[in-house]
Amino acid sequence: MAVENSGASRRRMYVRMVLRSLSRRRSRVVIALLAIAIGATTLTGLISIYTDIPRQMGRELRSYGANLVVIPDGKPVIDANVLPALDAAVGDGDGDLVGRAAYRYETVTINSQPVSAAGTDLDDVRAVRPYWQVSGAWPQAGEILVGRDVADQLGLATGESVTLAWSAGKKQGSDSDSTDEFTVSGVLDTGGSEDALVILERAGLEGLTGEVGAIDVVEYSVATSADQMSAIVTRITESTPGVAASPVKRLARSETTVLATLSSLLLLVTVIVLALTMITVATTMMAVVAERRAEIGLRKALGAENRSIIGEFLGEGMALGALGGLAGGIAGLGFAQVVSLNVFSRGIATDWTLVPIAVLASVAVTAVACIVPVRRAAYIEPAIVLRGE
Amino acid sequence: MFWRMVTRALLRQRSKRLLIALTVALGVSLSTAILSVMLDVGDKVNAELKTYGANIVIRPKGVAAVDDLYGQLETPAAQAMLAEADLGKIKTIFWAFNITDFAPFLEAKVSLRPEGAAEAVPVPAVGTWIAKELALPTGEDAIAGMRSMRSWWDVQGAWIADTDADTVMVGKTLAAEQGISVGDRVNLTYSGRSINARVAGIVDSGGAEDGQVIVPLTMLQRLIDKPGAVGRVEVSALTTPDNELARRAAKDPSSLSAQDWETWYCTAYVSAISYQIEEVIEGSVAKPVRQVAESEGLILEKTQLLMLLITALSLIGTALGIANLITASVMERAPEVGLMKALGATDRSVVGLVLTEIVLVGSLGGVLGYLAGLGLAQIIGASVFGSTIAFTPIVIPIVSVLVLGVILIGSIPSIRLLLSLRPAEVLHGR
Amino acid sequence: MNLLELRGVTKSYGDVHALRDVDLCVEPGEWLSIVGPSGSGKSTMMNIVGCMDSPTAGSVVLDGVDIASMNASGLAHARRNTIGLIFQKFHLVAHLSAVENVMVAQYYHSMPDQAEALAALARVGLGERASHLPSQLSGGEQQRVCIARALINYPKLVLADEPTGNLDEANELLVLDFFRQLHADGTTLIVVTHDPEVAALGDRQIVLNHGRIVRQIDNRANARVPVALTPPGGLS
Repeated sequence: MAVENSGASRRRMYVRMVLRSLSRRRSRVVIALLAIAIGATTLTGLISIYTDIPRQMGRELRSYGANLVVIPDGKPVIDANVLPALDAAVGDGDGDLVGRAAYRYETVTINSQPVSAAGTDLDDVRAVRPYWQVSGAWPQAGEILVGRDVADQLGLATGESVTLAWSAGKKQGSDSDSTDEFTVSGVLDTGGSEDALVILERAGLEGLTGEVGAIDVVEYSVATSADQMSAIVTRITESTPGVAASPVKRLARSETTVLATLSSLLLLVTVIVLALTMITVATTMMAVVAERRAEIGLRKALGAENRSIIGEFLGEGMALGALGGLAGGIAGLGFAQVVSLNVFSRGIATDWTLVPIAVLASVAVTAVACIVPVRRAAYIEPAIVLRGE
Repeated sequence: MFWRMVTRALLRQRSKRLLIALTVALGVSLSTAILSVMLDVGDKVNAELKTYGANIVIRPKGVAAVDDLYGQLETPAAQAMLAEADLGKIKTIFWAFNITDFAPFLEAKVSLRPEGAAEAVPVPAVGTWIAKELALPTGEDAIAGMRSMRSWWDVQGAWIADTDADTVMVGKTLAAEQGISVGDRVNLTYSGRSINARVAGIVDSGGAEDGQVIVPLTMLQRLIDKPGAVGRVEVSALTTPDNELARRAAKDPSSLSAQDWETWYCTAYVSAISYQIEEVIEGSVAKPVRQVAESEGLILEKTQLLMLLITALSLIGTALGIANLITASVMERAPEVGLMKALGATDRSVVGLVLTEIVLVGSLGGVLGYLAGLGLAQIIGASVFGSTIAFTPIVIPIVSVLVLGVILIGSIPSIRLLLSLRPAEVLHGR
Repeated sequence: MNLLELRGVTKSYGDVHALRDVDLCVEPGEWLSIVGPSGSGKSTMMNIVGCMDSPTAGSVVLDGVDIASMNASGLAHARRNTIGLIFQKFHLVAHLSAVENVMVAQYYHSMPDQAEALAALARVGLGERASHLPSQLSGGEQQRVCIARALINYPKLVLADEPTGNLDEANELLVLDFFRQLHADGTTLIVVTHDPEVAALGDRQIVLNHGRIVRQIDNRANARVPVALTPPGGLS
C-alpha cells in the first residue's frame, strides 16, 4: 500500500464510481439527460432564432417594394451608363441587394388618349415589385402590359393590338410623331398608381421615342439596416455625380418599427422560455439527486467527508451536464434550421459557437442543481438518513 | 379511507410534492404564456403593419385614370365622384371593428403663386382629412385622417386642421423650388376662384406629396366648386391573410357556393372587406392595394408560423419535463406500492391512489402556473407591443389537456411497471 | 483499558429522552449484546457508539478519544478508522458491484485495493460473486458483503444492528458463525438484537428499557444477576 500510489488509486476509484453511477442507473440517467438536453435545445434553438430571424424577416419585408430611390440631381435625366456605378455603390457592404429597376417615363397617346408609359427592364421589376399581379403574361419585345385602370378606361384586353404614338413636339427642337404597334400581353392589377400606366421594355420605349440611355428613376430593393442605408446613400452621393439618392421614408420607418417589434418579441420569449426551462432542468436534477439520500447517508456512515460526497455527485452532474448539453445544443441548432426552412424557405447560418455555450450553461445549471440537495443531505446526520426508511 | 390516505400522503414528504407542483407550475406558466402570445401575435403584428399605410383603396366606378405617383393629374371635371357624406358608413360594415383608419382624397391641379412672386405655377393640390372627428351612425365617435395614415411624414412647422379655412401645407420639394417657408402666404387659384392661405407647415414625406400642396378637404371642395365630393378614399384595415378561398372570391364572389360565400364574408379577408365597403358606399369600387395587402399577408403568415414553431418547441419541452419528473417520482414510490400490494390492494386501487395524488398536486401547480403564465404574457404584451395580450379562453382547455395527458402518460407506464414487480422484491428494496 | 466507555450518556429530543444517564464499559475483544423492545433506545445507543450521533449529555470515550463533543469531521474520522458498521437493511450502493461496495469503504478510509477487497469477499464465501450487483444477490449474500465491507479496514470495534433480522435461518447461522470467528480472532463486537438466542451468544448482554440499562447478564459467568435494582453506575 505505497503512499505514492494512493492518489492515483483514489482517482481511479472516483472515476469508477462516477461511471458506474451513470451506466448502471439507466432510467435515472435517461431522465436527467433528457431534462438537460431539453434545456440545451431551447438555449441554442431560441438564441439562433433570435440572432438570425430578424434578418430573414427583413429580407421578407422587401416584398413591400423598393426602399431606395435615385433621381437626377441638377440634370434632366440619369444616364444609363452610371447604372453599374450605382449598382456597385449599393451592393458594396453587407446589405442584401434584392433587385434594381430603372424607369423611363413618357406620355404617349393611345387612340388619341394621353397615357403614361413606363419603360423598364421587366425582369428587374419582378424582383423589385413582387406584388405585381399580371393576368395574362409578362410582355416580351413588341408587347405591352396595361394597367387595370387604363385597360378599363380604353377598353383594352389581352391579345389586342394597340398603337402607341409619341409626339416629339413636346421636346424642343424636334417635330415628328412616331408610332409603334404593340400587342397587349396582359393586364396589371395592383390597386396602386401602377394601374394607371402602360408598361413595356425600355428598349421598346426607346425605339418609339428615339431617345436612348435616359433614365428618370432608379429604384433599389436592399435588405439592410438603417445605418447601412445611410452609408449607401453617402457612397452614391460621393461616387456618382448628377444623382440624388434617398431612402423611401415610408418603408424605411415601418421596416425599422416592425423589425424592432419582432426582435424584442423574440428576445423576451427567449428569455422567459430559457429561464423557465432551466429552472425545470434544475428541479428535475434536484429530484433525481434527492432520492439518493440513503446512499449519501450510507457513505457518511462509512466515514466520508461532506466535501468528498459533494465532489462525487458534482462529478456525475457535470458529466451529465456536458453530455446532455452537447446533444441538446446540437438538436437546438437543428431546430432553428427547421424553423428557418419552414418559415422562410431558406437555411440559417449555423453558429456552432452556441454549442460550447450550451454545454457550459448545462454544466453550470446541473452543478448547482446537484450541489443543493447533496449539501442538504450530507449535512444531516447519517443516522437520520439511514433511519428514515 | 381513500381520501384519508391521499391526504396523509400529500401532507407527508411535502418537499417532494412541492417539487412536482413547482415543475408543473413552471411548465404550465410557460405553456400558458407562450400560447396566449401565439394566439394574439397575429393581431398585434397586424396592428404594427398598419404603419405601412392603406391596404384598401376606394374609387368611384368608371373613373378616369388618376396618376398620382409620378406627377400627372387629370382635371377632375369629367370624373365621377364619391360622396363625403357616405364615408361614415365605412364604420358600419360587418368588419367595421377591423377598420383602423381611413382618409378621403380630392385632387386637382391648381395655380400656386407665393405672395411676392411674380408668376404662378401649376401644382397638384390634395384635399384630405387630417384628424377628422366623426360621429358615426352607430353612435360612436372615431378619428380618421392623415395624421395617423401617414405616420412617416415629418412636418416642419405645424399640421393644418380640418376646420381651417386658410392654412395649407406644402411639400418640401415644392417649397424648395418656390422658395416657400413656414408662415409665408400663398395664393391658390382654380378656374377663377382664389384662396389666400398661410403655409402652416412643410411636409417631408419621401413620396409624391413632397411636390404637392396639402389642404383641408373642405377648402379644396370650395376652391374647385365640388362640395361634398371625394375623388378616392384610402382605408387601413386589419385583415386575415389570403388563402385559396379568398383568392377565388376575389376573382368572382358569385362563383362561391352559399356556404363558402358565408365563410368568406365572415372572415376578414381583404377582398371580403372591400366587398362590404362597396355594399355601403354608392357607386364605389374598392380594391386591395396589393403592395401593402400582399406583403402584410406574407409577413403575418410567417410571423405566425414562427411563433407556432417556437410554441411547439416550448410545449414539447414542457411535456417532456413534466413527464420526466412524474416518472421519476412514481418510481420512487416502489416500496409503498409493494406494501400496498402485499397488503392485498388491487392493482386498480393502487393506480387510483397514486394517480389521484399526482393529479391533485399537479392541479395545484397547474392553477398557480396558469395565473403566472397570464402575468408573463401581459409582460410580453406590454414590453413588446405596448398593449395587453387578449385573453383567449381556449388556452385553458389546451393547457389542461396537455398537463393531464402528460401526467397520465408519465405516470401510468411507471405505475404499471411497479405493479408488475413482486411485492417482496419491492419491499426489500432492489 | 476499556475500548469503549459511556458515562452518564443522555440523549433527548425535546421532552423525549431516548437515553437516560447510561453508563457502560466494553473491554477489547468482548462480544456485547444489546437487547430491548422497540423504543428502548438501542438504536440511539447504536448511533452514538457508531459516531453517527452525539449525546445531549455525558461522555463517550472510544479507543481513548472522547467522541461526545466531536464535530462532524472528527466523527467521520472516527467512523473511518475505528468502527465497522453492519446494518439491518444491508445498505449497499445499488449500482456498485459487491467488490466495488467493499472498495468504497477502503476509498474513504485510505486507498481502494481491489485485491484486498476480493480477498475479504472470499473470506465471507463470496469470492465467486464479487462482480454481482446487490440486486443479483440474496439477502444473506448481501449481508455478507456488508460484513466484508465492515471489516475491510480492520476496525477495532464492529457494530451490528439486527444483523440477522432480515435473514432466513440458513443465512442467519452463517452470519453468526462468522461473528464467532471474529470474536475468536479478538475483534470487539457489539450486536444489537431482539432475538434472545442471538443475544445469548455474546459474552455479556445488557437490556435496555425506556432509555436505561435495566439488566445485565454475564453469559461467560453463566450467572444471572437478579432482576431490576441495578445500581445507577451499572456493572462493569
